[in-house]
Amino acid sequence: MTATKKKESMKIVPPGKKKCVWMEAGVVSYKLCDNNYDCSTCVYDHAMQVKVARQKEAAVTEPLEVSADKFTETWVEKMMQLPASQRKCRYMITGEVGRKICPNAYECGNCSFDQMMQERMQVEALPVHALSDEGGFRVAEDTYYHEGHTWAKPEYGGRVRVGLDDFAQRLLGRVSGIDLPDLGHQVKQGEAGFRVRRNGDVVSVRSPIDGVVSRTNSRLSENPEIINESPYEAGWIFIVEPTKLRKNLKGLYYGDEVHKYMGEEKERLLSMANMGTAADGAELVDDIFEGLEGKDWDKFVKTFFRT
Amino acid sequence: MSKCVTICAIGFVEEDILDRISGSIQERCGIECKILRGTENPQYAYDERRCQYNSRLILDRLLRCGHDTFGILGVIQVDLFVPIFKYVYGLALIGCQCAVISLHRLRPQFYDHPPNRDLLVVRAQKTALHEIGHSLGLTHCRDRRCVMYSSTRIADTDFKQSHYCPTCLELFTWHLERCQALPYP
Repeated sequence: MTATKKKESMKIVPPGKKKCVWMEAGVVSYKLCDNNYDCSTCVYDHAMQVKVARQKEAAVTEPLEVSADKFTETWVEKMMQLPASQRKCRYMITGEVGRKICPNAYECGNCSFDQMMQERMQVEALPVHALSDEGGFRVAEDTYYHEGHTWAKPEYGGRVRVGLDDFAQRLLGRVSGIDLPDLGHQVKQGEAGFRVRRNGDVVSVRSPIDGVVSRTNSRLSENPEIINESPYEAGWIFIVEPTKLRKNLKGLYYGDEVHKYMGEEKERLLSMANMGTAADGAELVDDIFEGLEGKDWDKFVKTFFRT
Repeated sequence: MSKCVTICAIGFVEEDILDRISGSIQERCGIECKILRGTENPQYAYDERRCQYNSRLILDRLLRCGHDTFGILGVIQVDLFVPIFKYVYGLALIGCQCAVISLHRLRPQFYDHPPNRDLLVVRAQKTALHEIGHSLGLTHCRDRRCVMYSSTRIADTDFKQSHYCPTCLELFTWHLERCQALPYP
């Protein structure tokens, strides 16, 4: 492989990942977004802004030295150098809309399209780009998982969407109701966040993250079975404005850790449910609660929901 | 007690399949096998709601039937389940040297593929080794190639090999020696 080709191959963006706006604008050669396009809380964006500002100042006093450095413009300035027809809206960059050109000089705070998208995206969960399988359970990639079988997905704008994972919804089976938290309620990682009802049984479920509840999925009040049909998308539970995002994320499973964790949970479930037997070809039923026929239900809840 | 395993055909099972399962157990586990035919059809285990047979009830019946070997492996044609699973290829009582396997979902025809006796036998041999492992006390292995890997679907069974990984084999031998040293219950 030639040196040029090698350099190009390094710039491949893996499926499900997104280019940082600094890369998209061409200021840096390679950087993937790791903060869901929430530049306001992004350490990298902050550092780059500071760097560019310092070098602009330095350019006044030492023009010759600074001219060799490439970080003299912010990504907005770089994008603004493009012809108007090529200034991609940041929702186009992130893939939320097919084509949208920025008419507003990247001043999103004053943009009505940005406001509309913000409102729309709070109602509809972002589509899951990749679902994988671990022992018969669906696992949404690019999502963080709490040991109490909830998931947390940081989204554009810094908010975090929360829901039940596939393991939990199958263990609970046909959900008959859900007690959503009040708006403004403060939830904490590892503490009760909401309750799920299955006829006469109630299960208290842990929140995967600290934050203030800013929106709940009102559709679940009428149709709680959406949780069973679409646990990672339409069946989301609530959205929080996180208060300890970075710290909380370190306490959650992500990537390969999720698969290992789900595999271990499945083995634990089999050993508890089968009472001294072990099976091969073990694809679990969609309603494990029903399969257990109420046997030791409290023990299962305590074990898997960490209550 | 004879230090061999009884392979028990529950209902009708083709002879060559039983012979080849027996050969595989002798080769991989070093355990002699004897074949027992003519065990009754398991009508007692039929579940009308699921139209499947409850594998746990079959295991209980196998445990109660008299045999003079240290272990028993039932082989059956019908579709098996346990309440929290949609189906099982096999089920074992851990540490009780008693297991059952079903050929129903191991047949290529079940997946709309043409009949293939060799493929069926290989799948049956892997499932038998897996269940014998459980029946001695082995748990599932994380190595996808090891016969003790938990198959969720038939593709998992096809992917894994017909033998234990070195760790599982060592554990298998240890369990086997302990079981064979125990007096017959």
